[in-house]
Amino acid sequence: MNFLKIEDEMKYFQRMFILRKEIENFLYKEGYMNIEPSIFEEYDEFTSVNSRIDRKTTVKILESNSDILILSPDITTGIINKFMPRWDYDLMLKIFYYGKTYKHNGTGIRENREMGVEIIGDKSPNIDQDTLMTAERIINRYSENYLFEIGNSKFLKGIMTACSFNKEDYDNILDLLYLKNNQELSDYLSELKYRDPMSTLLNILDLEGTYEEIIGKLEGLYLNDMMKDGLEELKIIDEHMKNITDKIIYDLSMVSELSYYDGIIFRGYIQGSNTEIIKGGRYDSFTEQFGVKIPAIGFTVELDELLKAVYKEG
Amino acid sequence: MMGLTIAIPKGRLGNKAIEILKAAGIGSAIEEDSRKLVFKSENRCIEFILLKNSDVITYVENGIADIGISGKDMIMESSGDFYELYKMNIGRCKMSVAGFKDKKAFKDDTILKVATKYPETARRFFNSRGQKIKIIKLNGSIELAPILGLSDVIVDIVETGNTLKANDLEVFEDMYDISAVIISNKISYKFKRKEIKEIIELIRKEDSND
Repeated sequence: MNFLKIEDEMKYFQRMFILRKEIENFLYKEGYMNIEPSIFEEYDEFTSVNSRIDRKTTVKILESNSDILILSPDITTGIINKFMPRWDYDLMLKIFYYGKTYKHNGTGIRENREMGVEIIGDKSPNIDQDTLMTAERIINRYSENYLFEIGNSKFLKGIMTACSFNKEDYDNILDLLYLKNNQELSDYLSELKYRDPMSTLLNILDLEGTYEEIIGKLEGLYLNDMMKDGLEELKIIDEHMKNITDKIIYDLSMVSELSYYDGIIFRGYIQGSNTEIIKGGRYDSFTEQFGVKIPAIGFTVELDELLKAVYKEG
Repeated sequence: MMGLTIAIPKGRLGNKAIEILKAAGIGSAIEEDSRKLVFKSENRCIEFILLKNSDVITYVENGIADIGISGKDMIMESSGDFYELYKMNIGRCKMSVAGFKDKKAFKDDTILKVATKYPETARRFFNSRGQKIKIIKLNGSIELAPILGLSDVIVDIVETGNTLKANDLEVFEDMYDISAVIISNKISYKFKRKEIKEIIELIRKEDSND
């Protein structure tokens, strides 16, 4: 953030302070515990835990003993990396934190303020809905014109696993889904050997809207157990969130830049803002690389974007 | 119904696009001969903005326009974050590598000098071939570069090939098919999905009639 006048800068920081306190108080009252995430991470360790982190964009620091550290580009990875090696199987943590992430964005280092929530080790069945409701209550407090987009990575994973594409095809298909480029997707798939699950893949960009709409469009298309599992999880969420159905769209083609999501994925938007305000999802398989699969779900709130959206509205 | 803002490029591609929009019953508010750059269609709550073709992506990406019509060449060159919702039948051409007749300069062991308006796209293409290149970025009259000895080959848009022929150049290889694409701002798509899909459906009907 750059300001011409000191007054404006002060105003911004007071507003940020209040916003942050409000969300922190809310989360604290909801029973979340606060932690302070570390800014520094070990470069090698961090990138081996999360292979999807773009190494080029990390901000590196050379230690006096010539170890390489980075400024944290993703706080969840840091937390999991810190806690998992000492995890007790019966432990259950509901935590929140305020932190900054750092990335090179081509022109310089971008510093990003975020508020994060993680629920680790909770095996009860309602956690997906509860987490979503917590996210919804945060965004709802600041705007009426908000929208949640919900998907489930199991659906796409179910198709992709059944198709067993090679790495190149897999990445290209994911890129086309990310662009919602239906024509190039069907051109691309027509070049490949036909497999049954492709019937669903060809239509996946159309599988968006209300839960009922999606179920209607799925008729006659390929489904396997993993995909059904994903749909079932969405159904439960939909039943739970009946009072705000007009604020929810489901999208089965949702692709996340962070590959660790495994189950529901969601993003929250405010009309008039040009980026996601909230993003999150379930990431059980991310904890699994430390040995045991621990259920984990979380989300982050982009504080700068939220603040901008709130004051744009009035 | 929520209002939509549509970005249209000025020039040849834009004129064809406006023709289709009018045929589809959406674009009647646009006056081609006017110098105005913003047109509002009252009955449909649509606003059209006329922009330089290379700026359409910028306006869409920043959410000033919800959707826009842009050439695939511009899209490939940008590293922007937006949806590519529909490939139109207008603005069809190819992006190709061209150079002097009988002087095919594809040699692995030399650094090929490539003159182009599309440095990113050219770099990606030759990279995937393992061909080392040096990019010479030009803004127009690309065909001149090999003639005057500035580059070995050029990477450019080829429609009829007449300009190449007139300058004694020929296509060595077609790289990509190019056409106009309807792109959408990602957040606009979440809030105005129904409206955007409806517009695209109307355009698609006229577009495939050609």
